[in-house]
Amino acid sequence: MSINVGYFVRESIQNFRRNWVMSIGAVVTIFLSLLLVGIAMSFGYIASGIVQSVESKVTIQVFLKDGAPVADVDALQATLVSDPLVKGVDYVSKDEALEKFKTDMAESPEIVANIRGNPLPASLDVTLKDPREVEAMVAKIKANPQFTKIADRPSNPEESLKYGQQVVKKLFAVTRIIRFVLIGFVIVLAVVSLIFINNTIRIAIYARRKEIAIMRLVGASNWFIRTPFFMEGILQSLIGAVLAIALISSTTAWLLPKVREAIPFLPLTLSSGDMAQISFVLVLVGIMIGLIGSGFALRRYLKV
Amino acid sequence: MIRMRGVDMYYASDKPALTDCDVDIEQGEFVFLVGHSGSGKSTFIRLLLREILPSNGTITVAGQDLTKMKSWKVPYLRRNIGCVFQDFKLLPNKTASENVAFALEVIGKSRHVIRTQVPEVLRLVGLEDKIDSYPDELSGGEQQRVSIARAFVNRPPLLLCDEPTGNLDPQTSLGIMKLLERINKTGTTVVIATHDRDMVDSMRKRVIALESGRVVRDQDRGVYGYVD
Repeated sequence: MSINVGYFVRESIQNFRRNWVMSIGAVVTIFLSLLLVGIAMSFGYIASGIVQSVESKVTIQVFLKDGAPVADVDALQATLVSDPLVKGVDYVSKDEALEKFKTDMAESPEIVANIRGNPLPASLDVTLKDPREVEAMVAKIKANPQFTKIADRPSNPEESLKYGQQVVKKLFAVTRIIRFVLIGFVIVLAVVSLIFINNTIRIAIYARRKEIAIMRLVGASNWFIRTPFFMEGILQSLIGAVLAIALISSTTAWLLPKVREAIPFLPLTLSSGDMAQISFVLVLVGIMIGLIGSGFALRRYLKV
Repeated sequence: MIRMRGVDMYYASDKPALTDCDVDIEQGEFVFLVGHSGSGKSTFIRLLLREILPSNGTITVAGQDLTKMKSWKVPYLRRNIGCVFQDFKLLPNKTASENVAFALEVIGKSRHVIRTQVPEVLRLVGLEDKIDSYPDELSGGEQQRVSIARAFVNRPPLLLCDEPTGNLDPQTSLGIMKLLERINKTGTTVVIATHDRDMVDSMRKRVIALESGRVVRDQDRGVYGYVD
C-alpha cells in the first residue's frame, strides 16, 4: 500500500478546521494543565534556589587565638582545604573581622562607638561542598590537634567553633519538607492534567465515532485510522505547551525583578537553564499525554 | 463464497442469537435472509463481517477462515466485502462524491484511481447529477444509492445489506432492489437481510429463513413465507 502522507496532513488540518471548537477546547485544556504543571515547576526551581542559597550560607567559623603563629594557621588551613568535605577556607584577620562587624552593626552606632581596641578574634571560615555534612566536619576539626593548638579558647574548643548548631538542624529539616512538598505537588498536578487531557481527547474522538465506524467498515487499517488522531493530538499538545511556556517565561521575566526589588534578602531567580528544563518537560509531557490519551481513547473504537 | 458450519452465537449465556447454522452461498448468488426482528439476521451479517466471532463453529468467507483470522488482517477482509445499512451511515459533512471517495482514500488508493472510479460508480447508481450534494440535501433513496455506491466502488466480490430498504417507501425500495440486482449481474455475490415481504415475493430469489436463531427454510426462487 502506498503511504499517503499528503492524505494525513490534509486530513489533520481539515479535522482541526472542521472541529475547531473541539480542537480549541483540547488546546485550552492542555494549555491550562501544562500551565499549572509549569507554574509548580517554576516555584519548585525558585524555592530550591532559595533553599540552596540558604544552605550554602552554612559555614564553620574557626576562631583563632590572638598571636597564633602564622605557620600554624597556614598548616591548619592547608589541612582543612585538603579535606574531601571542604569546598574552601577563607582566612579572616582580626582587622577584617572588625571591619565586617562595623558594617553589620552600622545601624547601632553606639555599640560601634563603645568598642575599644579589637576584641574580635581572627578566624578561618570553612565552606562545605555539602552543607548537610556540617556536623561531621565540626567533629573532625575538634579532633584535630593543629586546631586545639591555636584555638581561641583552647580550654573549651566548643566555643572556638561557630556554625549555628541548632539552626542548622532545623534548617535542614525545613528544607527537606519543602522539597518533598514541591515534588508531591508537581506529581499530583501532572496526574490531574493527564486525566483532564485524556478526557478531552476522548470527547473529541467520541464526537467522531461515526466516522471511525465507517472507516473500519470499508476496511481502513487501524494505524490508518489512528494516525490523523495522533497527529492532531500532537499538534494540540504542542500548541498548548508553547502557549504555557510563553506565558510562564514572560510572566517570570516580568515579575521576578519586581519581587526581587520588594524582598531583596531572598535570592529569587529562575535561570534560563531552569526555564529550558521546564519547557522541555512541558513539551515532552504534553506530547506524551497527547499520544497516550489518543491511543487509549481510540482503543475502544478500534476493537475488531 | 460463504460457508458456515455448526455456527452458534451466544451474546448472553442462556439464549442463542444463532444456533447450529449450516449455510453455503456460492459465488454470484443473490440471497434474501428473512425473519422477524431478533431472529438472528443482523447477527448473521455481523458474523460475516467479523465484527463478532461465533461461539462455536467455523465461518469461511472468500476462502478465509474467519475464526482463525488475525485481527490485523480483518481490515483487508472488509475490503472484499461491501456493506449497506438501513441507516445509510454517510458522513454528513462530506458530499456524495466525497463520501464515496472516502472509502477509497482510507484503503490507500491513489487520487488518480479515485478521480476515475468515483464518478463512474455514481453514474452506475444513477446519481451523476448529485455528486456535489450533501447527504441532508438528498432523499432517503438517493442516500441509500450513495451508500451502495460507496460499498461497491471498490468492486468487492461480496455485498452484504442489512435492511437496505427498511427506511424507504415501496417505490424507492424497488429501485434499490433493481440496482442491487444489476450489481449482482456483474458477478458480485449479494446477501440481503430484510423483512420487506413484497420485495422478497416479487424478486423470486433464493430465500434463507431464520427463526429464533435457526435456519428453518432454505429455498431457491422462494417467497417471504411468514405471516406477520
